[in-house]
Amino acid sequence: MPPSIQTTNTATLIVQDINKVFFGLRALENVSLRLQKGEILGLIGPNGSGKTTLINVITGLLPLTSGKIYINSTNLSSAKPYQIARAGIARTYQTIRLFKELTVKENIEVAAVSIGSSRKEARHQADAIIQEFGLEAWVHYLASALPYGLERRVEIARALAMKPLFLLLDEPAAGLNEEEAEELLHILELIPDNKKLGMLIVEHDMHLIMRLCDRLHVLNYGKTIGEGTPEQVRRIPAVVEAYLGSTARGD
Amino acid sequence: MKITTWLKNIFTEHSTLFILITPLIIIALVTDLLDDTLTERIVITMFINLILVLGLQLFMGNGGTLNFAHIGFMGIGAYASVIFSMTPQAKSIGLPDLYPIFNPIQLPFLMALLLGGLIAAFCAAIISFPLMRLSDAAAVITSFALLVIIHVVLVHWDNITAGPQTLFGVDRYTDLWMSVIWGIGFIILAYWFKESSIGLKLRASRDDRYAAATIGINMVIVRWVAFTLSAFMAGIAGGLWAHFITSFSPKAFYLTETFVILAMLVVGGPGGVSGAVVGTLIVSIVREGLRTIESAINIGQLLPSTLVGFAEVFLAIALIVILIFRPGGIMGGREIRWLKKRPLSQKNEDGTNTTIS
Repeated sequence: MPPSIQTTNTATLIVQDINKVFFGLRALENVSLRLQKGEILGLIGPNGSGKTTLINVITGLLPLTSGKIYINSTNLSSAKPYQIARAGIARTYQTIRLFKELTVKENIEVAAVSIGSSRKEARHQADAIIQEFGLEAWVHYLASALPYGLERRVEIARALAMKPLFLLLDEPAAGLNEEEAEELLHILELIPDNKKLGMLIVEHDMHLIMRLCDRLHVLNYGKTIGEGTPEQVRRIPAVVEAYLGSTARGD
Repeated sequence: MKITTWLKNIFTEHSTLFILITPLIIIALVTDLLDDTLTERIVITMFINLILVLGLQLFMGNGGTLNFAHIGFMGIGAYASVIFSMTPQAKSIGLPDLYPIFNPIQLPFLMALLLGGLIAAFCAAIISFPLMRLSDAAAVITSFALLVIIHVVLVHWDNITAGPQTLFGVDRYTDLWMSVIWGIGFIILAYWFKESSIGLKLRASRDDRYAAATIGINMVIVRWVAFTLSAFMAGIAGGLWAHFITSFSPKAFYLTETFVILAMLVVGGPGGVSGAVVGTLIVSIVREGLRTIESAINIGQLLPSTLVGFAEVFLAIALIVILIFRPGGIMGGREIRWLKKRPLSQKNEDGTNTTIS
């Protein structure tokens, strides 16, 4: 991937007519979305609606059945996960995936190293991110020794050490208590402007979604059933029925 | 003044290296002073085994996949170096079916040794690339298959080897300090590799290959480089051993040696260079101790029948016990350090230093 896309000012992630079929099951059907630098897009939908599948397809962990993925004009549709990462897409996982036998600092350093920083540069970059995320006290701990809430923070810090153009967060608030979720919200709010990146968040915590997101994209059974600002989406009948409706019935 | 602080910094930063290397140098010095053939033999063998264990640690400890083929590359290094170091006369007796072009070639020992290592690395680079995407059981089984293939080739390719027969007529070039210098050099290499960019990436992919891929690590390439480097080390060990033992057959590079090397690494702990060194030392000492006991028992006829295989069985049991109670080995993947790495200091707003440990 040419490194030049890292420096362009108007990076856009374009997902075009994505289909993903698992053994006859259509997990994603003609899903399209755009994500711009500086923007926070919320990806919501009931369980099993294909949100995580979409992130896995974008990051190359799952091959897509048909459709196209671009960053600007760079086609990433058939790129390998590490190529997609180097092109500027970082992610976190629903079930946290840290490098357990590496220290917190090494976890962050390795992300900087893998996009081409030297070992020395990576050390400095890691130090900066460690300060930013308030992880100074934990740098020499193995990742496996961290409390859960901090694991989330380290995972986001690691993703940012890649200096990505786009950050995809898969349920970052899952398993956090209210206080931790609030802390996370403050961290997340500042990222798009500070880091000049576009952020896509999958989340069930509606409070967090409504406060953070500029736009929402709603999936149900692998299909897009609504797009727009949080206000607009709230008024789409299909969304109300499929998403908010189901919780209303659940109550 | 500046030089002393610089040295002090080097020492505190890399105390692991100093702590690991010092006792080895002491062992070598004592052996040199003792001037006892048997002791020297044991110590040289230990240093050659150390190189093998370090090579295995480099790939297996950092990469997380077991590699049974390691000793196969030792064999390649041994035969390759011997072909380049033997005199034409010795070759015409020891290697009668050797390809004629190789017959007149005779290089200085160090060049032959390096060539042996490079040829082992080259073979590893070619064979291993398609295998590097495999993990877990598949990786273990393919590496075992690789060992069998290399062994069969060594046994039957009598234009290169002496076939299944013992090869004689190799000159003895490996002495105590030769093995010590290579051993210590490879400790430094293995230590450097672990902390290098590529070592860090390899360790990350060991812990989670998916997360590694999505931060931009190409696991196949990273593993491949490590495997090739590891085979180079095995090849050098093979060359050193061949020019120490001076007569050998392909049998030497098979299951027995594989087991000993694996046991050393597992006992010490594959996660770190310290584990490789500690494991090699302990297993070597215990093995020799047990052998002495075994022969003492047999000479004194303390048992109604002769005792055989005591050391091997003991080693196997030690391996099982370690795997049950301390799966990370004695060192548990940690490195020995003089002091904890200096904790991160940061300036407070009032200008004082806070130390966060």
